[in-house]
Amino acid sequence: MKRKKLLALGLAALMGLSALTGCGVTTTSEEGESTSSAATKTEMTGEGKDEINVLIYAQEHEKAAYEDQIKKFTEAHKDQIKKVNFEVTTQDEYGTKMTAAMTANDLPDIFYVGPDALRSYVDNGYVLPLDDYVDQATVDNLWPEIKSAYQYDGKEIGKGSLYCLPKDLSCFALAYNKDLFDKAGLAYPDPKKPYTYDEFLDVCKKLTQDTDGDGEIDQWGVANANAFGMTPYLFSNGAKFLNDDLTKVNITNNKNLKDAFQYYVDLTAKEGVTPTVEQDTALGGYQRWLDGQIGFYACGTWDVAAFMDQATFPYKWDLCGWPVGPDGDGKSTTWLGSVGFAVSKNTKYPELCAELISSLSTDLEGQKALSGETTGKSMQIPNIRDYAQSTFKDKVADGTIPYASNLDVIFGYIEGSDQYKGIFPETTYTYNAEWWDTFLEGIPNVQNGSIPVDDYFKEVEPKMQEALDNAIELQNAATK
Amino acid sequence: MMQKAVTKKHQISEMAKREERWAWLFIAAPFVGFLFFMAYPIGFAIFASFSRWTGVNSLTGNLVGFKNYADILTDAKFWKSMVTTLIYMIGIPIGMFLGLAIAMGLNRMKHTRRFFTTVYYVPVVSSLVAVSILWAWVFNYDYGLLNSMIKALTGIHGPNWLGDEFWVKVAMIIFMTWKGLGGSIILYLAGLQNIPRDYYEAAKIDGANGWQLFKNITIPLISPVTFYILITSLIGGFQVFVEVQVMTGNGGTNYSAATIVFYLFDKAFNNSQLGYGCAVAVILALIIFLITALNFKGQDKWVSTMD
Repeated sequence: MKRKKLLALGLAALMGLSALTGCGVTTTSEEGESTSSAATKTEMTGEGKDEINVLIYAQEHEKAAYEDQIKKFTEAHKDQIKKVNFEVTTQDEYGTKMTAAMTANDLPDIFYVGPDALRSYVDNGYVLPLDDYVDQATVDNLWPEIKSAYQYDGKEIGKGSLYCLPKDLSCFALAYNKDLFDKAGLAYPDPKKPYTYDEFLDVCKKLTQDTDGDGEIDQWGVANANAFGMTPYLFSNGAKFLNDDLTKVNITNNKNLKDAFQYYVDLTAKEGVTPTVEQDTALGGYQRWLDGQIGFYACGTWDVAAFMDQATFPYKWDLCGWPVGPDGDGKSTTWLGSVGFAVSKNTKYPELCAELISSLSTDLEGQKALSGETTGKSMQIPNIRDYAQSTFKDKVADGTIPYASNLDVIFGYIEGSDQYKGIFPETTYTYNAEWWDTFLEGIPNVQNGSIPVDDYFKEVEPKMQEALDNAIELQNAATK
Repeated sequence: MMQKAVTKKHQISEMAKREERWAWLFIAAPFVGFLFFMAYPIGFAIFASFSRWTGVNSLTGNLVGFKNYADILTDAKFWKSMVTTLIYMIGIPIGMFLGLAIAMGLNRMKHTRRFFTTVYYVPVVSSLVAVSILWAWVFNYDYGLLNSMIKALTGIHGPNWLGDEFWVKVAMIIFMTWKGLGGSIILYLAGLQNIPRDYYEAAKIDGANGWQLFKNITIPLISPVTFYILITSLIGGFQVFVEVQVMTGNGGTNYSAATIVFYLFDKAFNNSQLGYGCAVAVILALIIFLITALNFKGQDKWVSTMD
């Protein structure tokens, strides 16, 4: 008797779901405790039979653009699609979610893979080669740098099948605050001729000032975040951390790196043209830049919309190149970044999924929204090369897209030119970035003068090598 | 004895039997929960700890025996984070001493006790992430409450609390003591109120002074509370993670703020060494188990009960 009651109770707990017909959108949000942006799940429904799961991470504007894109796609294929589950998570949680999905053997049909993760995903058979599914004209219209980042032949990156269509190709240029230049009576940097190390230091010294006369510096030439803003200085002096086959850490016997790193830490330790280590922990460079205390600050392609927003950054600014060291190839060099849309190898609907990622990656309307023509907020450089080189540039020039006028600096980094070059950092090709994190951890001690560069290199090199060996071993294990 | 219990069971009424069946059902819910959400993951983690599992590759195809364990025990970062974890535990006796002192003070208050207990308990029920963010601002080098006070009082600029390898440990100990204080106060207060008044009166008649009352009555009779706080703080002390992650981000300059659990997280999720991370977790579980067992073993020597 009582058992029956219990059973009834259990059954009552199962809720019936009413079927949705036609096109509909349902969104549910879950607030993350530790992250600022909320993860969301959106369902787009059609009248067909196929159900596609999409999992990515995105900022708010990007999410809106992709949601529109998927809605249009669902509408256009509504006799085929039953439902598209579009799940957006935070970048922090993305890796954990994917690991859980792989362990449970339940991958979404469409997800992000970065160039750094490509090999392990392909080696373990998680991603579908796209050669047979995407149209060659689309592929040919991608930036060459990016196409090769997602090609892999089982041995080398840059050859063989294409596995992803890019979400974006980003780069990290340098921005300067024009108002501070005007106040100091300095000439603006020449976008056609990036500064040398010495010229840059000289300008930074002139921009470093005590503006209110209280005896303390409150305006600095430049602020650098070690994790992101250091490598462009080093790369621009031809410096690398690893040997060519990425098996040995080479920093102690490496003049290019040592000189460049010395120059970089001296900006803080000796010349004092950046906030001190202590000041930097108190208030990061990004906030100080937004507050108008900093002359030069790094600007990613994704930062442009924020810097163009008067409410966020009420100063005039423009783009310029990173300073060039004496011993490199003379080009101002920065790092490129990318993440790509991949299709699961086990998807039931490879054609449909490939078509959807083509639309997310290279649909003209979508790219217009993401790069700012229709939204006024530029989150990225368009993935479609001929649109980027023509209309996009024109729309920046005529002011439809709010952008810094020296857009060519960004194009220089992405396309390569006599003055500019963009490269993927070495961490892109090692299995994890622990060797690099190990190098980063102790830099504040060098910048505050407690340990000289030589000693630091000697101390950290074996630790980095150990971490790299570890990564190589994992890479080998990853293919088993 | 056993036999007796069994025969007794046979004599129980129909109603009692029915109730027992219900009892099983009630137990079943948490037990099934335990199997799915505890036993299975524990078993899985132990198994994965023998593999070079990255989350992407095959778990069973990369079994390496005890190699993860050997690597952990020779990794300088592991020992560094272990030492840091132990250093943070300096906060435990400090917190217990302060907790007892404040509880004794509160115990004498009649009307304001409830108010102050609430005040001290607020940090315990607050979100750890939220208070960590708040304290990161308290410890801020230029704009922090602490350094502003130091500057106002002494004229000297205070230390770089979260950036300096030494001071970050002091900062963490201060934070953890503050966060845990309310818990020990509540427990000590309950312990103090359970001590019968007669003991003190009898001792006073025999001419005991305040210190003797404290040393010979209060301390022994609240020792079960002290024991409980010690055990839970030690276990909690080995599991510190959130405050390090929130306040220092990358584990501090030269990994100086990283704890064992931070190291585990860093390896498993920042560097895709999930199998290795599982091995760290197993080692941590063993350490906690061992220390707790030792504590229980040693309790006869100093923990007294009232009966």
